[in-house]
Amino acid sequence: MIVGNYLSAVSLFSIGLYSVLTRRNLLKIVMGLSLMESSTYLFLISLAYRAHSTAPVLLGPPGHESTSTLVHGSVADPVLQNFCLTAIVIGVAVTGVFLAVIVRIVQHYRTLDADRIREMRG
Amino acid sequence: MSRAALSSLLPLTVAIPLVAAVLAPLAARLWRQLPLIIGMGALLASGGLLTAMAPSVYGGQLLSHFMGHWLPVGGASLGIAFAADAWGLTFALVTAFLGALLILYSLSELSGLGSRELGGYTCLFLLLCAALIGSSLTADLFNLFVWFEVAALSSYALTAFFLERPLALEAAFKVLVLTTIAGFAIFLGAALMYANHGALDFGQIQNDLRAGARPADLATLALLIGGFATKAGLVPFHGWLPDAHMAAPGPVSALFSGLMVNLGIVAIGRIVFETFTPHVGHDVLGLLMGMGLVSALGGAIFALFADDLKRLLAYDTISQMGVLMVGMATGSVSGIAGAAYHLIDHALFKALLFLCAGAIVHMTGATKLSEMGGLARRYPALAAAFTVGVLAISGIPPLNGYVSLGLIHDSLRSTGQWIPYGVMLVAQVVTIAALGKAAWVALFRSRQSDEPFERDDRLHPGMIASLGVLSAACVAFGVLPNVVLTGVASRAAGALLHPVAYAHGVLASGGPITGSLVSFDYVSPLGLVTVLATIVLAVPVAWAAMRWGQSRPVEALHRVQSGSVNDYAAYAVAGLLALGLILSRGALA
Repeated sequence: MIVGNYLSAVSLFSIGLYSVLTRRNLLKIVMGLSLMESSTYLFLISLAYRAHSTAPVLLGPPGHESTSTLVHGSVADPVLQNFCLTAIVIGVAVTGVFLAVIVRIVQHYRTLDADRIREMRG
Repeated sequence: MSRAALSSLLPLTVAIPLVAAVLAPLAARLWRQLPLIIGMGALLASGGLLTAMAPSVYGGQLLSHFMGHWLPVGGASLGIAFAADAWGLTFALVTAFLGALLILYSLSELSGLGSRELGGYTCLFLLLCAALIGSSLTADLFNLFVWFEVAALSSYALTAFFLERPLALEAAFKVLVLTTIAGFAIFLGAALMYANHGALDFGQIQNDLRAGARPADLATLALLIGGFATKAGLVPFHGWLPDAHMAAPGPVSALFSGLMVNLGIVAIGRIVFETFTPHVGHDVLGLLMGMGLVSALGGAIFALFADDLKRLLAYDTISQMGVLMVGMATGSVSGIAGAAYHLIDHALFKALLFLCAGAIVHMTGATKLSEMGGLARRYPALAAAFTVGVLAISGIPPLNGYVSLGLIHDSLRSTGQWIPYGVMLVAQVVTIAALGKAAWVALFRSRQSDEPFERDDRLHPGMIASLGVLSAACVAFGVLPNVVLTGVASRAAGALLHPVAYAHGVLASGGPITGSLVSFDYVSPLGLVTVLATIVLAVPVAWAAMRWGQSRPVEALHRVQSGSVNDYAAYAVAGLLALGLILSRGALA
């Protein structure tokens, strides 16, 4: 059910946001951001879906379809799926930088508590 | 060169720094300084190409190029377009040339680093510059998101690059969290836009929006404005900005503050004026105006009470971004021309000031104003450059800030927006007080402690050259206002105010855009009196700040900027929700 997809995307996003706003553990903040990220992928894939559509592969269509019927509407939108691919690649890079920074923070400060790593304020 | 030939050069302006970014770490194996030299060459080459396009673009043409020649069919475009209008080209030119100058400065200040560090540093620096040039030229919403992310990734790494100060790690984490949230907002905005209009090309989106907007477009607009406002460091999305600038060395802070934050402003201008045009009414402009005023005043007040010199300058960046936003939000020709002018000015004087601050840290090891003093006698050249920067920000003729601030003030008066005008004047007084206080304490007042400075280095030739060029540019842009105004700023305003021509030009691979006429009266009595009055009022404000800087209300103010990443994220999310609510109340016109 597509409505279910949207509902799960929204709840995943909210869980992630809750963790970013309330958790002081750096790793949990990053996990929250990852959850928010995955929820955006789910949201986009659901936006791309059209009723009774197949995957946007135009070569070798399934038995009762031809390439032209596929092009005219019975495939999911490939552009939005492409968005997700791009964003997944970016997301991996960002998570990598995040974890590297956390490792260095732990080496320097010997803590994961965001509240104890706030020398810069005011 | 013909228009088609010039247009086909557009992708090269980004490709050259990107290729150089890949080559830089390899070149470092040959010779330690080689990557920086390659980087400077690449940015100068890119700037040269952009300069070759300048006569045509500022002469009223739009250059547009579709990647891989995926031309639009029947007004629908699948390809990614690069389009140089006067608004984007101005920022791209500033990025290329200022970037080259900052690398020259790095060559001198950071030359002590090892070859691996210099290679990596140059690579990240060039990636960021390429992303800024790309984002100012692209005419595709998703492509804009990609450039935003490229800029974001390189800024994360640059913030955390210099690990001798653990502060850099703390700053990097805050930048990461806030920019990632902004990235989600822009990503969702782009997706909603595509889902609703089946288009990503700015021209095509504008044409489709002209036929009618849906409620979902409000959410799109709120998400995009919120996302890019984070990059621009506007209140309440500003939490990352002071920390990121404080931890980085001089040239990196100058790159962040002079160039990177402008990405947000340029993108908001493009989205609001060139894409959502048919639906931009008082509510959208009012929202931008509100955000701009709060940032202008809030940033100035925090700058007034900051003790760390770089943090002070960073808060002032928030304030100046607010000023830019106010200029744009007037929606009038002189306001937008003033904003375009101020964008150039801010890049120049803020880069100058951050380089001076970086040089002070580099030479003396002092970071806090309370540790400094009497630097004018030790380093007269540095003191002169810093003073030029402070006078330029204060809007004192004949320096550049006078013209752009004057234009923005004029536009507020002529559109009869008296309350914003008043707030802007107060913000200006506080800004002058904050920077004047900094200059007085650091340079001219005798030092309070007798301990010798941590380090005792001197200015290197490359540093003097960069500071000299930037100071000269601050003067030049102030004494030649009409050349810049008619040639550049009024054209940039024309591009934002003639969106139909922009949309047509993008889809038709080029076309004319008329400029708008702006005039500025250099010796208008009102302008000169305003300058004098703001300076006179700034003196008691600065004195009061020095006298009562530690009092309880000020401490309470500092608690807002709590340093907790959770709080900053909460501010940003609340800001996004508020944007959505305000926009949906005044439904699209």
